[in-house]
Amino acid sequence: MLTIPEERATPAEIRKKGGQGMAIRWGDGHESTLGARYLRGLCPCAQCVSEISGQRMVSEEHIAPDVGVEAARTVGNYALHFSFSDGHTTGIYSFEYLRRICPCPACAAAEPGEDA
Amino acid sequence: MTQTLITESRVLDALRSVMDPDLKRDIVSLNFIRNMTIDGESVSFDVNLTTPACPVKERLREQSRQAVLSQVPGVKDVRVNMTAEVRRPPAPETSRIKGVKNIIAVGSGKGGVGKSTVASNIAVSLAKSGASVGLLDADIYGPSIPIMMASSGEPEVSNQIIQPVTAHGVKLMSMGYLSGEMPLIWRGPMAHKALQQSLLGVNWGELDYLVVDLPPGTGDVHLTLVQTVPVTGAVIVSTPQDVGLQISMKTLRMFQQTKVPVLGIVENMSYYVCPHCGGRDDIFGHGGAKKAAETMGIPFLGEIPLDPAIRKHSDSGRPVVLAEPDSASARALSEMTGALAQQISIQAFRTIPLTIIEE
Repeated sequence: MLTIPEERATPAEIRKKGGQGMAIRWGDGHESTLGARYLRGLCPCAQCVSEISGQRMVSEEHIAPDVGVEAARTVGNYALHFSFSDGHTTGIYSFEYLRRICPCPACAAAEPGEDA
Repeated sequence: MTQTLITESRVLDALRSVMDPDLKRDIVSLNFIRNMTIDGESVSFDVNLTTPACPVKERLREQSRQAVLSQVPGVKDVRVNMTAEVRRPPAPETSRIKGVKNIIAVGSGKGGVGKSTVASNIAVSLAKSGASVGLLDADIYGPSIPIMMASSGEPEVSNQIIQPVTAHGVKLMSMGYLSGEMPLIWRGPMAHKALQQSLLGVNWGELDYLVVDLPPGTGDVHLTLVQTVPVTGAVIVSTPQDVGLQISMKTLRMFQQTKVPVLGIVENMSYYVCPHCGGRDDIFGHGGAKKAAETMGIPFLGEIPLDPAIRKHSDSGRPVVLAEPDSASARALSEMTGALAQQISIQAFRTIPLTIIEE
């Protein structure tokens, strides 16, 4: 499993922007804005990603454009859990995963694990 | 004769030279100094530490006394009263057990390394030092804490809330209570529900420390624990034998992946002292856990000897730190607990609060 440096995967501030999604400022100062539909489409749960093949079964194009984050809570020390407006609640998004899927142009352009 | 006035700020300035060796800050900026009174030439104050099990308590008392005596002119007498208040790490109120300040998980890679013995002695040692302590036996496969703590009674249930049994000053809950004499033959979801109930459905009251004795290895119970409550940190019990250690490393990585700080490694069954001749024998080799801790940059908390007395007292329900507090084994266990309490205090200061700001 890919690991990224500790401070890059440790949130300094987590904000829920109404139902629209999340904004996370990380330990290294980087900020990620994660929209509700984007998050829902990258849900890491076993219904959305096949446990055997690792293949993604549900992705963003399967999700209604107006999906919202109804509730967000922390899971222990290491992850976030979301309740989406389409009733999906089974994903646990580790901070490391959330940092890795940061959609900002700099992160998207960089190789995984590389500095943006 | 010039009379210099002894003021609170002069005393505090003197005390700024006393450092807490673990938190690496002076005891004034850590807000340890409480209830200062100045009466003529005598000064008295409390030093309020972060744990009653602090191993450097006496050293800090003496350093504080000396600092004021030598740096504040006119002081003839200093009385230092050592108190303690266990701080809770910052974390959202909603996801924790109400009233419980620190949750300490005790894990091991494989069974039979003496994890429950170590956990029960940690709990009793902390309680002996004056802390309020709970002990949750989450080992669904072999719940042994009720035997080691000699608590035969079953917890009472009122209004759906379980009242924990108290033994040796420690509040106890065991998954064993949920099944009586029957073995627990559970699938994951059952274990998950049972642990959640044992954490959240128990009237723990106000606790400084809740010690959770985990089943060996990495599994359902571990995941449920780290997902249900914010765990302050984990202790890993290992034997010096390499195979035990390699498996312990897996447990360690599991805690790291779920962002549970690893507070340290304990090497149990470290060496054997022959009760007949007094000779020492390293039955399983020696020092493996210490070496591994150093390589991984994790605190090494101590070596516990393989001592028949530890086993005997555990079997009879009175942990060795109570039954023979002056024995070498009990001292090793108490010192290890002190080192652990230090790590917990450091962790409580280091943790950043995890809250979601709603906009």
